[in-house]
Amino acid sequence: MTAAYSMNRANLNPFLSAIAGDFELIAPVRTDIVRFEAVSDPAKICLDEQPFFPLKEFFFRKHEVILKFDGKRFTAPLKKAPKRVFFGVRRCDLNGVLHQDMVFSSGVADPYYAAQREDSLLIGFHCNEAPSEHCFCGSLDLKDFHDLMFFDRGEAYLVQVGSGKGAAFLKKFKKFFTASDYAVTDEDRFIEGVDKLKVKDISGVYDNPGWKPMVDACLSCGACTTLCPTCYCFELREVPSLQDESSERVREWSSCQLKEFTKVSGGFVYRESREDRFKHRIFHQLDYFKEKNGVNLCVGCGRCITGCPTRIDFVTGINEMKA
Amino acid sequence: MTEQTQVHAAPAGPVFWPKPTDTNPKLRVGFFGLTGCAGCQLSVLFNEDEILRLVEIIDVTAFPFVRERNIERDFDFLFVEGLVASRNDLETLQKLRERTKVLVALGACAHTGCVPAYRNFTLKENYEHLLYVKDRGIEDINPSPVDDYVKIDHTIPGCPPDKREILSFITDIVGGNKPKTFNNPVCIECRRNNNACLLESGKPCLGPVTRGGCNAVCVNGGFECWGCRGLTDDANVPAMVKLLEEKGYSKEFIRDRMRMFAGLKMPAEVEIIFRAANNKP
Ligand code: SF4
Ligand code: SF4
Ligand code: SF4
Ligand code: SF4
Ligand code: SF4
Repeated sequence: MTAAYSMNRANLNPFLSAIAGDFELIAPVRTDIVRFEAVSDPAKICLDEQPFFPLKEFFFRKHEVILKFDGKRFTAPLKKAPKRVFFGVRRCDLNGVLHQDMVFSSGVADPYYAAQREDSLLIGFHCNEAPSEHCFCGSLDLKDFHDLMFFDRGEAYLVQVGSGKGAAFLKKFKKFFTASDYAVTDEDRFIEGVDKLKVKDISGVYDNPGWKPMVDACLSCGACTTLCPTCYCFELREVPSLQDESSERVREWSSCQLKEFTKVSGGFVYRESREDRFKHRIFHQLDYFKEKNGVNLCVGCGRCITGCPTRIDFVTGINEMKA
Repeated sequence: MTEQTQVHAAPAGPVFWPKPTDTNPKLRVGFFGLTGCAGCQLSVLFNEDEILRLVEIIDVTAFPFVRERNIERDFDFLFVEGLVASRNDLETLQKLRERTKVLVALGACAHTGCVPAYRNFTLKENYEHLLYVKDRGIEDINPSPVDDYVKIDHTIPGCPPDKREILSFITDIVGGNKPKTFNNPVCIECRRNNNACLLESGKPCLGPVTRGGCNAVCVNGGFECWGCRGLTDDANVPAMVKLLEEKGYSKEFIRDRMRMFAGLKMPAEVEIIFRAANNKP
């Protein structure tokens, strides 16, 4: 679907207020930092920065009770999310959602993810320029993936429709939009300076000595994978009740940067060394996933660098590796 | 501290974790305090809503902190709070170890030596006049964590420990399961809680090298992590020190901050980093 519309700048906040009247509206807000939150007053929305945390937690929840046992029977406590509209989502994060959809919704779909994701509508906000010095989305093969996408064109927004759901939504709020026969081009999608990762195929650099300074600086704190819009790893725990025979099975986010992540029965740890763990993340993001799914898992948002306490910049690190 | 540092091993062979059986349905559990503030034993009691259920499903045979009559033997599980700081502590501990199948170090003092072990890092003449040893007939020895003297089988870390961790430990042993030790850094829970990282605002947070399981309670409340649960098995302390130095903290500050709770459990190679800075002692 390539239909485009335009929206007068003055219409944006009334449009968002109208959405907030009918749905739960979630958009970037500046609190102590910029983060996605439910908003009712569009004046609070902040589009100047990349939100520090990605959208991930709204669909793939951090802590999910996936089974309940009452002593006799198991039940799956599926709780469907309300109708939610996400506004101000950058192209990288939209592709992050796409990649998580690939993981959780293809083949045997994950019902817990689906229950959160189903009634969501994604309205993108295209970057005119990179909001963070660590953005490198231009090096990845990102797709148009949105229900609606807003391009900031000064006096007006150019609005690209990306799905049937987006078209129907736009129709409901059509008084804010003007139809246009413009078609979005690669020029519209271009963002200056974000093709930072020069090595597009990293499969040959696994044993390069250039990893060492990065590994030495790594605290294995897991900030990178927690902040990553695509990382989908989790662990399962049984939480028995003290009071009776009942029990819950809980799913919680995990991280390949942790030793515990590959610990198996008997205490054996598959990726014992920090170096193996560090490289595993980069290679899963930029190599292994692609081998299986045809697209890199990483969307180039740079959060794993921005949020890394020691700012390990693997993009520069890989670029500087000598053959 | 050297002359007292010999470890009394528990009986050889694999640790036998007792389970409730049909003939012996209730595990015999004790709670003891050595030198400490009793805050860890209080953490047990802070489980007010569950405490009645607790005494129903386990046999609390000894808890001298709250009870006068205690049977001080045949423990399936024994929780020990505090560290060894007197001859009397040491004798109590050794006696209890012999009477216990699974010994659990409860809280930071038992685990690392924590704040009271700080004395090890200064010269005796700096504190000698403050000791109330003589008039109480206490025979003072260098404060050390419990495993300097006896073998411990499990640790519940923290200053104080999280009351829920004590509960889930008991829930596990009653169910015949071996409790898991949390070995991920505090950052895992902190980031999951969507906290803005305090290192970014220049605070000397020790979360990346500190064992979590506390749900990052300090950072949730706006305070940096001081490392009360001790270092993770995987802590990259040299990188942590370098990071804090880049943020403007001196080696001396970092050392003192890390010693506060990690105490005597700071790995030797880390002490070497600090010694290289030519700081005494
Ligand atoms: S990575 Fe690209 S799409 Fe994402 S915020 Fe940066 S410039 Fe925008
Ligand atoms: S955020 Fe940085 S220091 Fe922490 S695990 Fe990731 S790469 Fe290592
Ligand atoms: S690996 Fe890093 S740059 Fe890539 S998507 Fe994840 S957080 Fe963003
Ligand atoms: S990078 Fe690590 S945490 Fe992220 S998806 Fe891959 S294996 Fe999982
Ligand atoms: S505030 Fe401390 S515990 Fe939290 S993420 Fe930052 S370093 Fe880790």
